[in-house]
Amino acid sequence: MRNPEIEARCQRFMDALAHIRKLGLRVIQADERRVTLVLPVQDQLNTGKTNTYLLGGALTTLIDTASAVSTLCVLPEFEIAPTLDLRIDHMKAPTHSQPLYIQAECYRTTRSVMFTRATVYQTSVDDPIAFGIGTFMRLGADVVDPQMKALVEGDIDGDTGVSTEKGAQA
Amino acid sequence: MISITEMVAEAHATGDYMPLIELIPYAQVIGVNCERFGEEMVFRLPRNPDNLGNPTLPAIHGGVIAAFMELSAAFQVLLQTTTPELPKIIDFSVDYMRAGLDRDTFAMCQLERRGRRVTNCSVIAWQEKRTEPIATARAHFLVKPTDS
Repeated sequence: MRNPEIEARCQRFMDALAHIRKLGLRVIQADERRVTLVLPVQDQLNTGKTNTYLLGGALTTLIDTASAVSTLCVLPEFEIAPTLDLRIDHMKAPTHSQPLYIQAECYRTTRSVMFTRATVYQTSVDDPIAFGIGTFMRLGADVVDPQMKALVEGDIDGDTGVSTEKGAQA
Repeated sequence: MISITEMVAEAHATGDYMPLIELIPYAQVIGVNCERFGEEMVFRLPRNPDNLGNPTLPAIHGGVIAAFMELSAAFQVLLQTTTPELPKIIDFSVDYMRAGLDRDTFAMCQLERRGRRVTNCSVIAWQEKRTEPIATARAHFLVKPTDS
């Protein structure tokens, strides 16, 4: 069941990341457990001179981002959760004339660690292009990033809400 | 169709590796470049505001760091083998050790095992000191054997 509040929060998080704005990554749907994103077809990823490995690297950014966003679906409020590790298996080469979709799920959350899995696909989630599994570290309530939290929770506007306050560094 | 083998030979001869890097669009998007020191290749991801993730640290987006390492490994395999095609990634695994701050990032790769079809490559990425990596990674690539 789609959850508009979680969808908006995931999109606000992604909009705060300069690189994700550059790639135009968007939330398609999200609920309390998983999120689906799309990477649109774009000229900057279509300039290759060969047929193989055209989207090399871009899939990695897509999986890393979607996995991090899936942790936002689960947590009651935004936390700093650095990625510990990420592993990706590439099943087949994507078609570069079609958008890439990714469904990511945070399937287990403990006090210290969150576990995610993600599937990249184009036609159907049952016909995967790549799988990714990741782990994220929870830093606890005493490590906060007030400005990023306000951005994600929608308390300040991403473009104008420039604050001098800085969160503790991870 | 361009000959990858000829491009690799040309790059080694001139020291200009950009034509090879331009084969992969995302490598250009994030701004990968590389330089050869003797037998060693050092890959560099110059500081770039478009590569940032968390804006308040600010830190390079984790996915960009991982992609930089994966692409470095792919180029290393391409440069060190005489394959007629770009290597195909099979799997990739990255461990993050430190936040990648808003500055230049470097990577070096090592081919740990070169099989007939599959090559294993490890990657280390750092900013200040190589002994303090921001991340380490490993990857397997399917490498088309040279026609003979």
